[in-house]
Amino acid sequence: MTEPENEETVCKESVYNRLFTSLSTSIYNFIYFKCGDAAQAEDLVQDSFIKLWENCAKVPEAKAKSFLYTVCNNAFLNEVAHKKVVLNYVQKTESGKNDQSPEFILEEKEFEKKLQKAIANLTEAQRTAFLMNRIDGKKYREIADILNISIKAVEKRMSQALESLRKEIGNI
Amino acid sequence: MSEQLLHKFLNNEITDTEMEILKASDVYRDYLKIASHTSSLQTPQFNKERVWQNISDRNKYKKKTIPLFNYRSLLKYAALLVIMFAGYFYLANMDVSVTSQLAEKRSYVLPDKSEVTLNADSKITYNKNSWEEKRILTLRGEAFFKVSKGKKFDVETSQGTVRVLGTQFNVQNRDKHFHVSCYEGLVEVIFQDQSIQLSAGNSIIIENGKLIAQQTITTTKPGWLFDESSFENVLLENVIKELEKQYSVKVEINLSDTSKRFTGAFTHTNLEDALKTICVPLQLNYSIDGKRGIKIYEE
Repeated sequence: MTEPENEETVCKESVYNRLFTSLSTSIYNFIYFKCGDAAQAEDLVQDSFIKLWENCAKVPEAKAKSFLYTVCNNAFLNEVAHKKVVLNYVQKTESGKNDQSPEFILEEKEFEKKLQKAIANLTEAQRTAFLMNRIDGKKYREIADILNISIKAVEKRMSQALESLRKEIGNI
Repeated sequence: MSEQLLHKFLNNEITDTEMEILKASDVYRDYLKIASHTSSLQTPQFNKERVWQNISDRNKYKKKTIPLFNYRSLLKYAALLVIMFAGYFYLANMDVSVTSQLAEKRSYVLPDKSEVTLNADSKITYNKNSWEEKRILTLRGEAFFKVSKGKKFDVETSQGTVRVLGTQFNVQNRDKHFHVSCYEGLVEVIFQDQSIQLSAGNSIIIENGKLIAQQTITTTKPGWLFDESSFENVLLENVIKELEKQYSVKVEINLSDTSKRFTGAFTHTNLEDALKTICVPLQLNYSIDGKRGIKIYEE
């Protein structure tokens, strides 16, 4: 009659809180990589976590991550109009680079601009995988799990992304 | 080769020597530059606190209206309670039946310590729960009762009811033969619209709803309690039926006169003796062959 209770239930507020702290930023980024709309990404993160709470009795903690990503992805596919998105990345402040020559800094700026534009022109699948790896620092294994594809497929997307970025940017 | 090294780099698993190999190629140098520059990009600020606040507000409100998991776990206990209650009521209202098989006698003590002895192929049924208030049981077959003192004690049969106050009596309710003997105290026999009071040492026989004999008895207990069936002016057919029950056999009767009556007793311990005691006084023959086939016929 009793259910296996080897795992903590997501209904416990401390567990739920922990999941939000550790996963919400990644999920936000994941959606942002896809649509480039920060407000939309926040809304979807919010909705997915509310959905998790409503279904907390049915979702064991180990399944919560995949549940959240799936809910977000489905919502994204259903609700977000596919428009050509331009991603606006904010440059990280890198203190160690202040001693570079002005020409170098200029070149770098030019390169960043081209890079951003090129990333925006990637296919959604390539961009998502590539940025999950580059910005979130996720390993192929984790990306494969989240996107529900094989590691080989992740490798392919990464290679294709790099190839088209290089082509788009031109002489580097 | 270099492709795999690139993936190693992207997965942060590359060694310095492998890195040198990668850097040797123009294309891969470009890739490395693109990759590391991309890493220094970031998404617009995610307002984690605000989103968490929104979620908490929504969840608190939701929790009041749908405490889904609590409700679910409560259901388990509710179901358990329902089963327990159903079980209790089922048991509380359950009728208790005591049955004796063919060629078997059985003693049984009722909840009020009244004793019942069932003759072969008989059955009593009573309600365990209401026995304290109403001592009513139904009887099919034959049984001897030793009733503890108390309120009225009813034995309901298909042919009539026997009502008593602390006494010893025998009720035989077989087919169309209804025979009540009172050994101690007083019993009341109710059948059709009639009611007859039977004092100790008396018995009545009712056949087909008609009173056919009222007799005195000399024994203190019915003969079958001592492995003997005794009869007073009973149709042979009914005597044989009793024999069949006591020995669990089939008897075929081949007689021109079906109104023969029998007075006497047969034993429950020896079939041949029993047949002899029935047939000899009535000048009948019997045969027992193989597969328990017994025939009774005229000489």
